[in-house]
Amino acid sequence: MRYALAVALLTVLISVSARGAENAARDDFEKKIRPILQKFCVRCHGPEEQNGRMRFDTLSTDLIKDRAAAEDWHETLNVLNRGEMPPEDEPQPSDEQLKLLTGWIRQSIDEAVKARRSTGGLTVMRRLNRAEYQNTMRDLLDFEMDYVRDLPPEGLSPDGFRNNGLSLRMTGMQLEYYLESARKALSRVIVTTPEPTVFHHEFDKTNHRKWLGNPTFADNLLDRNSIFLARMEPDYPEVGDFIIRVKAHAERKDGIGFPRMKVAIGYRPDTKIILTTALETDVKSSESELFEIRGRIENFPLPVRGQSKFPGLVIHIENVYDDSNPPPKQQTKKDDKGKDVKFYSDEPDYPKLFVESVTFDGPVFESWPPAHHRRILFESELRETDELEYVRQVLQRFLRRAWRRPPANNEINSFAEFFNSLRDDFPVFEEAMRETLALALISPDFLYLAEPAGKEKRSLTSWELATRLSYFLWNSMPDDELFELAESGELLKPNVLTAQVDRMIEDDRAWKFVDQFTDQWLNLGGMDRVAISQHYYPEFDVNLKPHMRNETLHFVMELLRKNLSARNFVDSDFAMLNEPLARHYGIENVFGYDYRPVPLQAEDHRGGLLTQASILLTNSTGEDSHPIKRAVWLRRRLIDDPPAPPPPNVPELATDNPNFAKLSIRKQLEIHLEDPACASCHRDIDPWGIALENFDAIGRWRTQIRRAEPGRKSFINLPVDQQTELPDGSKVESPEQLKRYLLEKRGGDFARTIVTKLLVWSLGRSLDLSDEPEIAALTNDFVQNDLKLRDLIHEIVKSEPFLTK
Amino acid sequence: MKSWHLDRRTFLKGAGVAMGLPWLDCMAAEQKAQRQSIPKRFCAFYFPFGVSLPKEGSENSQWRWFPEGQGRDFKFNETLQPLEPLRESLSVLGGLSHPNGRSMGGHDTGDIFLTASELRGRYFKNGVSVDQVAAATIGKQTRFSSLVMSTDGGVGEPTRTSTLSFNQNGNPIPAINQPQTIFDRLFGTGDAGVKQQRRELLSAGSMLDRVLDHSRSMRRQLGTQDRQKMDEYLASVRQIEERVKRSQAWLTIPRPELNDEDRSLLHLDSDDEAPNEYIRTMYDLIYLAFRTDSTRLATYQIASMGDFTTKGMKFPQLLGFNGTLHKLAHGWNKPEGAEDLGKWDQFMAGLFADFLKRLQSAPEGEGTLLDHTMAFYGSSNSTTHNNSNYPLLFAGGNGLGLQHNQFLKFDDKTPLANLFVTVLDRLDVPVESFVDSSGEMSEVLA
Repeated sequence: MRYALAVALLTVLISVSARGAENAARDDFEKKIRPILQKFCVRCHGPEEQNGRMRFDTLSTDLIKDRAAAEDWHETLNVLNRGEMPPEDEPQPSDEQLKLLTGWIRQSIDEAVKARRSTGGLTVMRRLNRAEYQNTMRDLLDFEMDYVRDLPPEGLSPDGFRNNGLSLRMTGMQLEYYLESARKALSRVIVTTPEPTVFHHEFDKTNHRKWLGNPTFADNLLDRNSIFLARMEPDYPEVGDFIIRVKAHAERKDGIGFPRMKVAIGYRPDTKIILTTALETDVKSSESELFEIRGRIENFPLPVRGQSKFPGLVIHIENVYDDSNPPPKQQTKKDDKGKDVKFYSDEPDYPKLFVESVTFDGPVFESWPPAHHRRILFESELRETDELEYVRQVLQRFLRRAWRRPPANNEINSFAEFFNSLRDDFPVFEEAMRETLALALISPDFLYLAEPAGKEKRSLTSWELATRLSYFLWNSMPDDELFELAESGELLKPNVLTAQVDRMIEDDRAWKFVDQFTDQWLNLGGMDRVAISQHYYPEFDVNLKPHMRNETLHFVMELLRKNLSARNFVDSDFAMLNEPLARHYGIENVFGYDYRPVPLQAEDHRGGLLTQASILLTNSTGEDSHPIKRAVWLRRRLIDDPPAPPPPNVPELATDNPNFAKLSIRKQLEIHLEDPACASCHRDIDPWGIALENFDAIGRWRTQIRRAEPGRKSFINLPVDQQTELPDGSKVESPEQLKRYLLEKRGGDFARTIVTKLLVWSLGRSLDLSDEPEIAALTNDFVQNDLKLRDLIHEIVKSEPFLTK
Repeated sequence: MKSWHLDRRTFLKGAGVAMGLPWLDCMAAEQKAQRQSIPKRFCAFYFPFGVSLPKEGSENSQWRWFPEGQGRDFKFNETLQPLEPLRESLSVLGGLSHPNGRSMGGHDTGDIFLTASELRGRYFKNGVSVDQVAAATIGKQTRFSSLVMSTDGGVGEPTRTSTLSFNQNGNPIPAINQPQTIFDRLFGTGDAGVKQQRRELLSAGSMLDRVLDHSRSMRRQLGTQDRQKMDEYLASVRQIEERVKRSQAWLTIPRPELNDEDRSLLHLDSDDEAPNEYIRTMYDLIYLAFRTDSTRLATYQIASMGDFTTKGMKFPQLLGFNGTLHKLAHGWNKPEGAEDLGKWDQFMAGLFADFLKRLQSAPEGEGTLLDHTMAFYGSSNSTTHNNSNYPLLFAGGNGLGLQHNQFLKFDDKTPLANLFVTVLDRLDVPVESFVDSSGEMSEVLA
């Protein structure tokens, strides 16, 4: 990654030439170092060719002033140390020459690091990104809503994360949406309406049968093809919290899965159905069990009153358990009156769901105004006796949470003045208050994680630390406990900090961290950019994709919460599986949709990230594996050694050979390597992916490769040829050997990568040379400690970059 | 009569707003010069279920909606006869459709008439409509960025939408349907919505002042890199402050006055029980909005595809036709059905012709209002359930470099969105493309 960034910067800064020629060190370079570069490097990295976009004839030797050049030299050092350059088939420098060159680079880097320490490595004030804004607004207002619908998505920073302060920009349009979102939310959170009527409905069987598709309507017992509909018309709320209570039990034999209940809310606009899922869960007990679903009704699709052909809000319950068997054919029989009735033949091996009763209550609230209102506008006599003082107290509480620090007196004064200035136009107290609070939510103090500081590094305050912690581990604002510890200053005590980190990791909000961090680190979003070929995989069920993603998230969480070794990322003796995924992997006797650690046998060929379907699918073509993508993924994500980006105008693979399409990808890549222009980079890339050829596009184990015959419907089978030779000459013959190689030969790079990724994420900035000592120290401790993941989090929050601004 | 009740705030937010903010919907003139130049306008009208299309040469072929012949050499059938006097300002477009609509349900394409988009995802999310693309730019020059009307009002439901306009995010913009409401909005005073708007603007204005003050003092405490971030934030605040100021300016500019003759045109109390008066009044409101330069963009959905819910369904019966709109539409290829539907089509064409004539009767610059107004009229079905070969009229704009008096027959390789590219170009809002367009529609250019 560093290299990629440096390369990108280099193209901009290439014109910056070295200065200070009088300097003795410079003479030293020209006399001793330049000739070595000229002899062994410049032919491929010079005026004629710039392989890897590097050229040494113009690369600045002033590492202090030219940061991009420093990064390039750093990378050069790494490549030399690993013996990757010059390539084997080129003339090699003598040991002494090599020592001279690496010595000069190392010394220059050390000087640059020292020179830079005073200014570098500052954490930049950064705007909340979409996910952080959503989570923060939700937690601040204690109110579920889509706060980010209109906000534009953020791009990835050069490090591959979305929380990098420098990359997160602000525009007028963006700010407008923040204001709109704040006003909209506050108009819901702070109520001015009288206590609403509560609707209550009870259903003990389906009450509506006008539906689309070919469902059979069951009164209570749901098999594969039947649905339970409870329709409410016209008495349902359009705003407010609701509770749905479903009483249900399972009817199943032993040794099969559990019925899976999906409860959705929505309506039918004529020839379509619009539903949003409110709950999906296994129903495991054969005894009656109560499921309670809470939500905000306005977050679900609602019919438009008076404009609907099929008016009414519908609670839609189905049994979505999928045993991957084809559904039985629909049949028709006559009922007592001689009318045709559709039915499906019974499937004794399919678990049935018995819905005993469904109730709906909404809008529900413990008292009026609701809790989220009273959290801001707390009850107090002051409101009547001294309104302005009451407003000041409301602001004191609200700003402290919204700005993640205690507001200064003059700030409260300013807000109170603003409130006052509104009162003529906003005679209703709550309305003026909403506007005043909206002001707080478009202030930079809310929208940015700001740590005011001059040029000098300084320690964080307890408030700033609470905020860094919460955005690191929760992707959201601190909770009351963290705020209290910030206020008392206790949080700065190492043992308190440690206890808090443990508490935060155990908290449900840690899922937000795992979700966002894992997604960006491993590029899980890539799964949605691969279209799985219907022709190759007609049996593939797209509903499996979320399970694939979840496997990876649960895997990361398992390591984190149980403080397991990060080596499990490379290889593990367990996988986090549920029934659909276990079936996909051919692992038997896993029932239910919840994820749990499942011990792996050698013949399962699973373990670690590389064999997870999410990763394999992301790096496939949707038809077949894509060894190059897999290789680049591995080098970028696991050992932080991404190959240089492909040159412009990459030629297509040579296709003169009419049988090219019938060759295995491995053979195709060999042809690829015959072209010297491709070979210089690809001989270091392809082998990493070829070792994973035993996995098809959707992540299943294979011993033969299916290839569609051009222009025909049939397939040919090619043998899997996964034997390969890695750049350093190591022979690898299976995915297992690849994993072993990674742990044994690249274990240091891997450990460092984990440290770097987490550190970058936790700081919201790119790392630079001045962070080098800290990365090295963290990595060293990490390796000493058997790569225990949770311990690493503890070390990071105690590290200097994390604790200083 | 008013089964649909539209919340005023929703209305305010929706009716004029392209950007999604209540206080952006009325934008002050950018510059005097711009105001003095002759405005360029666009309006669109939609009716559901297609038209009568008996076979050419068949017994009832005089009720074929499309003319006979093609190019300049064409002859209106009975249906479009009311438009004969307007030939020089009108093109009939045949063969066009939105490729994205061709595979959609027969009744589902009303939503995309002006968006050309594919309805996506579980919620059938749409794309931005052509009028709103223009509104984002030229909407700033008038009090209302656009006027969004329909007979049913509101947004309806996906695939049965009751609005033609969709904002930049593809969300439906609620249409207004009560003539009195529209009139008050355009020409009235003391509208409660305006008060709300005014105070939100004032509040936003002073909010931004305070944010600026506060941020400047905060900026002083920051290091160099943080200051750059802060400057970006401050620039954003100034951007919206500027827009708020311009919006406030409109609040103090008096609304246009209408003379008695203008007022007498309108049947502001008309409703969907009197289709003739009602539809005429809706057309007239657009005419008045254009003449007073209150807006330059208008859409009006005369009826929707929601056969059970649109008020337009009963229009034919109220006027003595035999059957609902949908039932009439299903007669397109039956001997007597073709005539019944044809007569309805003719009635509708007559209303549109009257609207065009009214625009033509108003002098503007060296020409007429019609010369600077592009009017697009049609359906997303040719015959009922058929999502290709839309019956389309494209009128006016002779002063905007358009040429007419032609019946253009396209094949299905030409996406209708090409016309939108041309419309936007004529409005000085040039775009590279519009959804699936393959170029502009040079055939209508002079």
